[in-house]
Amino acid sequence: MHANRIEKLLFIGPVIVLLILFSVFPLLYSLFMSFTDFSIARGYTNGFIGLDNYVQLMKNKQFLVSIFNTAKLIVFGVSTQILLGFVIAKLFKARHGSRLTTFLRTIYIIPIMVTPLIFGLISVYLFDPVYGIINYILQALDLGTMTWYGSEKTALFTIYIVDTWQWTPFTTLLILTGLLNVNESLYEASSIDGASVLQQVFHIEIPLLSRVVGIAVIMRFMDIFRMFDLIYASTKGGPGISTEVISLFAYRQSFNFYKTGFGSTAALIALILTVFFSSKLNTYLSREN
Amino acid sequence: MVLHLPYLFKEVCMKRLSLSLVLVFILAGFVFANGAVEDQVTLTAEEEMWSSELHDWSGKTIRVMMIGDPWIDSLIEISKNFERITGAKVIVDGYGYDQTHEKEVLEGNQPNSDVDIIVLDAPWVGEFAEAGYVENLKPYIEKEDSDLIAWNDYFSTFRDVVTWKDQIVGLPFASYYVMGNYRKDILDKEGFDFPVTTDDVKAIAKHFSNNPDYPNMYGVAMNNQSGSAVGQAFFEWIYSFGGKPFMSMYPGSPDSYADMTPNFDSPEAKETVQFFIDLLEYQPEGALSIAWDDRAKYFASGYVAQAFMWSARMAMLEDPNKSAVIDKVDFGLFPSSEPGKSAPPLGGWLMGIASNGNQKDMAWDFIKWFCSQDVHQEFVMAGGPPSRYSIFTDPETTAKYSWLDTLEDTVDRSYADCRPRIPESNEIITTVGTYISRAMTGELTVDKAMKALNVELAEMLSNAGYNVSK
Repeated sequence: MHANRIEKLLFIGPVIVLLILFSVFPLLYSLFMSFTDFSIARGYTNGFIGLDNYVQLMKNKQFLVSIFNTAKLIVFGVSTQILLGFVIAKLFKARHGSRLTTFLRTIYIIPIMVTPLIFGLISVYLFDPVYGIINYILQALDLGTMTWYGSEKTALFTIYIVDTWQWTPFTTLLILTGLLNVNESLYEASSIDGASVLQQVFHIEIPLLSRVVGIAVIMRFMDIFRMFDLIYASTKGGPGISTEVISLFAYRQSFNFYKTGFGSTAALIALILTVFFSSKLNTYLSREN
Repeated sequence: MVLHLPYLFKEVCMKRLSLSLVLVFILAGFVFANGAVEDQVTLTAEEEMWSSELHDWSGKTIRVMMIGDPWIDSLIEISKNFERITGAKVIVDGYGYDQTHEKEVLEGNQPNSDVDIIVLDAPWVGEFAEAGYVENLKPYIEKEDSDLIAWNDYFSTFRDVVTWKDQIVGLPFASYYVMGNYRKDILDKEGFDFPVTTDDVKAIAKHFSNNPDYPNMYGVAMNNQSGSAVGQAFFEWIYSFGGKPFMSMYPGSPDSYADMTPNFDSPEAKETVQFFIDLLEYQPEGALSIAWDDRAKYFASGYVAQAFMWSARMAMLEDPNKSAVIDKVDFGLFPSSEPGKSAPPLGGWLMGIASNGNQKDMAWDFIKWFCSQDVHQEFVMAGGPPSRYSIFTDPETTAKYSWLDTLEDTVDRSYADCRPRIPESNEIITTVGTYISRAMTGELTVDKAMKALNVELAEMLSNAGYNVSK
């Protein structure tokens, strides 16, 4: 039995060490940093400053706006990606098995294979108000043009569109997997009973897919909460602070201004919010199941 | 006999195979030997001179960390000559602006570094010198022949930039100055002279925007993107509006950092921001997101009538592979609110030795070689930004670049501290840029934005130990 325990330790030991080194230690160190005014370029000026960073952060308008912008992206982004993902998954399921569907599905998932930073850089060119192909197509269709990233009124909306474009294929794949696992006999039985397509969706598919959708919601929630690459590549938080998000704010404090203590505080607050809302979401979805 | 045939056949095949292999090896030997012969270095007379001046660094590798600006390819190409002369291998790593700063600060904080040469920006001079990221080059320079260094041949304002508290932080090999760039063809056609004042800029911008005679043309492209882009633009224009961002920071100041009380709510500062706002309507759609590359792109593509760009971009405008406006462009002195008040912005890059590097002598060899007059002339001919007065009298460069006379008129009018060269510089410029962008979007009035900016910077600089009046 003792040998059994040692064997188990030998197997999971390396993972625990890695977890401690790359997760636990950085987290605790960030926590420590958040109570200091440490700057990576200038060292400690006053050393331990207690809750000063947290107080300053709560009074910082840019940080508060970043939370609000992040929340907007999450609410609209997640709901759109789930809805759109469901509709497109239904379309793929309807023609499942055909070579054309397989081909289209392959092209459809290309965006999720591109790193977010590159996708962001590409989107800057696509959505360029003067040179971009999006405006060119809109003009050709007589639909006018938009400023996209170039206006505080449309920049966040553009971020939302680009994120939706890139990640809806991900939710589509998850939901499609769930749909393909729904027993066909349920559809047959409900058809015999006179159920319409919509009734089948609401009374068969959605209940059976709730777990899969729940996973998709949680994953997209965490991804959008952490969103950095796309905004860094495109707007850098502008125009003004209209696309400022939490991760960009934390990054700027730590790596542009080298106020590592203050940046760690922002990153920790972001982590706390992510964990809190993810666990609430998980609890809610488990209860629904 | 019959029984031996397969054996004989095998014997013959093996012999033929062996003979073929020997022939192949001999031929390969000739090929590689010839290649090796071709690889033996044949140096020019100038390189022969340098080979006696520089050390033999065969088998060594030198790493350069720098900005990925348009002339990086020219630097890489010319560095091959150093490889030929010394036997060293030169590896150049180029990054975006923010990444260059990040990486250099992070690298500078390590006890040891693989990076030998750091190319740093003008505003980072104080930060890097105070933190000890780069060597003081004074002792290195003093050991050399003064004709080789030709210190006084560097532009005087940029010599000031690279000097921090009696240290020389790097050699000023890539100085930038902002000049006006104009579409001479259409300005002449419409009867405009190149703008001398900011009112002239506005008039030209207004004329060429939404003009049915010039469809798809805009009046101007400015650096408007939130953060460091428009923040830098503010520091480019404020002095030409007769203003000063901090109480002791102005051209001619005996000590630019004596009184760092922010002055962003002065009439001149507000006038500068209002100028940016007024020009928005004459710029391409989505103007609020325009940054350095976009500005250059719009002008080089023929979309705008005027732009005010760093001199590092000038070579691109005369490159047929990159510009649609060759032979249509003229250059002029940076405009000001009143005639004769032009204070052209100054920036650019210097080459320093990483303090925690392990190959400082080799780094110095590279720096003094690359920054020498002859190699600098080659660099400029290949598209690098001019940094020496001798370029203005060189027949090759003056024949190639039509904007050199404007640059010559510009260089000695600049102010070395046009952007603060202190450790807080990055934070100051980004904070300024964020507030100005909020004013440009209309989220805040200009008054409110500049007042709030003043308060925030006063607190920041006071906490950092600078002299700030209450």
